Amino acid sequence: MTSNKTVMFPLFILMVLAGCGGSGGGSGSPGPPVVGPPVIGNNVLTITVNGSLCSDNPSYLNEPCVSVTICSPGSTNCQTIDDILLDTGSYGLRIFNQAVTVPLTQVTSGSGLLAECVQFGDGSSMWGPVQMANVILGNEPAVQIPIHVVDQGFGTPSTLCTSPNSRPDTSPFEANYNGILGVGPFAQDSGQYFSCSGAASGSPCTATTPNAKVINPVAALPVGGDNNGVIVQLPSVPADGAGSASGSLILGIGTQTNNTVPSGVTAYGVDQVAEFTTIFNSTQYASFIDTGSNGLFFPSPSATQLPSCPTPNTVWFCPPAANGFSASATNTGASGSPSGIVNFLIGNADNLFNTSNLVFGELGGKAVNIFDWGLPFFFGRSVFVGIDGTSSSLGTGPYWAY
Amino acid sequence: MKVKVCVVSAGLGLMAAALGVVQQAWATLGGSADSVATDRKALSAVQRATTVKPGYTVQEIISDATHVREYVSLEGIVFAIAWNGFMPPDLTKLLGSYAAEYQQALQNTPRQTGVRHQHVQGKRVIVEKWGHMRNLQGRAYVPVLVPSGVSLDDIK
Repeated sequence: MTSNKTVMFPLFILMVLAGCGGSGGGSGSPGPPVVGPPVIGNNVLTITVNGSLCSDNPSYLNEPCVSVTICSPGSTNCQTIDDILLDTGSYGLRIFNQAVTVPLTQVTSGSGLLAECVQFGDGSSMWGPVQMANVILGNEPAVQIPIHVVDQGFGTPSTLCTSPNSRPDTSPFEANYNGILGVGPFAQDSGQYFSCSGAASGSPCTATTPNAKVINPVAALPVGGDNNGVIVQLPSVPADGAGSASGSLILGIGTQTNNTVPSGVTAYGVDQVAEFTTIFNSTQYASFIDTGSNGLFFPSPSATQLPSCPTPNTVWFCPPAANGFSASATNTGASGSPSGIVNFLIGNADNLFNTSNLVFGELGGKAVNIFDWGLPFFFGRSVFVGIDGTSSSLGTGPYWAY
Repeated sequence: MKVKVCVVSAGLGLMAAALGVVQQAWATLGGSADSVATDRKALSAVQRATTVKPGYTVQEIISDATHVREYVSLEGIVFAIAWNGFMPPDLTKLLGSYAAEYQQALQNTPRQTGVRHQHVQGKRVIVEKWGHMRNLQGRAYVPVLVPSGVSLDDIK
């Protein structure tokens, strides 16, 4: 209860300052935490949706957090960092420089220093150097890999990582997390790399082809170990939400006794941009499954049955029906098969936000021409993410399975 | 149909030159169809397909990092731009005379953390972004320039 209050307070302040519609305006106290079954093993990271692992910074609705350990390369000089956003929609580990206390080794590029610019779907971006770190996930063996240290003061940021091309994240407080752990179904990210003549702010940077790219740390686990993907397991959430929820990120698929594939799980292959298709309202959309999106986002099929909420919550849906908006969609693998139906419910966001809860399974909002199965899709499911070029009993990645 | 549009846009370009109309260096959104070629150079891209639709054409230019589609009215005016790819294009070049307006509107638009969608409404231009790493998408359009009968759903 105490931890919920500490999260709520800064969130409320932030909302007043930024005027962003969202949550937490309710008068009641948040519902009790929802806790998934414990999973034991060296390949398990606890996920808290809001809750304790998100408490370093202000939080937003449906924010899944994990904790990651990084060390100076080849050493035991390590730190564990909480409030890392779990993101199946990106690839690689990115941590704000303000959160890094152990020395890391800068990756060079020709005679310069390697830096990267990445953008995200919300128009935000991250800029900063690429540095080598020993990364430890759960109690897995440390892997020495390039990570992205987010630092807008490093060199001269690419114009793609400055306004108005994007909204650069400059601090954990602003982003609401200390970093991002990208564990989507590919090993490599898709940012642009630069060689900077120096680390000092203002040092020139030019586009380059890197000799080392930021990599999904799961893909870097030892071959024959748990490097073929992850399972995201989160519990069901009550209709009017919960104050927080916790579950597990299990590394590897069918590689240990705690990550075997139960019967009834279907794998859906994805294309080279990690998308499959969703047919909804007789329309086919490119789609993806993403812990880093905090709602289900799709074009509304009806302005009367599923309208957006009035100001200030216009990004969310506010269906007028007392029982919310009930719908189904059909997901199909990128190759054209298999297909499976997903039923879902969208609640009235204004009513949900009146509860003082932060975690909602029935939260949705409008999108332009995609179907984004965000975090609510994960509640009450085990979702398997198969990494490109690796195999399991579910097939060869890249795939989603559930 | 393709030929006709090319003739019309070339004609407008000549007319603009003859009248001494100064073209923006990167005039694109709101500019004449000629600026598609300027964009192609600015983005180090190659021009791919031109698709003829009722009431407008779509010119696609492709680079390693992104696909850009420019929506051109029968009068030869770029009324919308859409993109998708590994990295979004440099909007300061593509938005032309609307870039400053967009920058100001962006500063006045609060960030919605967690929502992988951004909607920025300027006085005249609307810029939206969505998607995820490996396929970052967006579109920019000027509502008063969108030809009647063209649905916003077609701009994607």
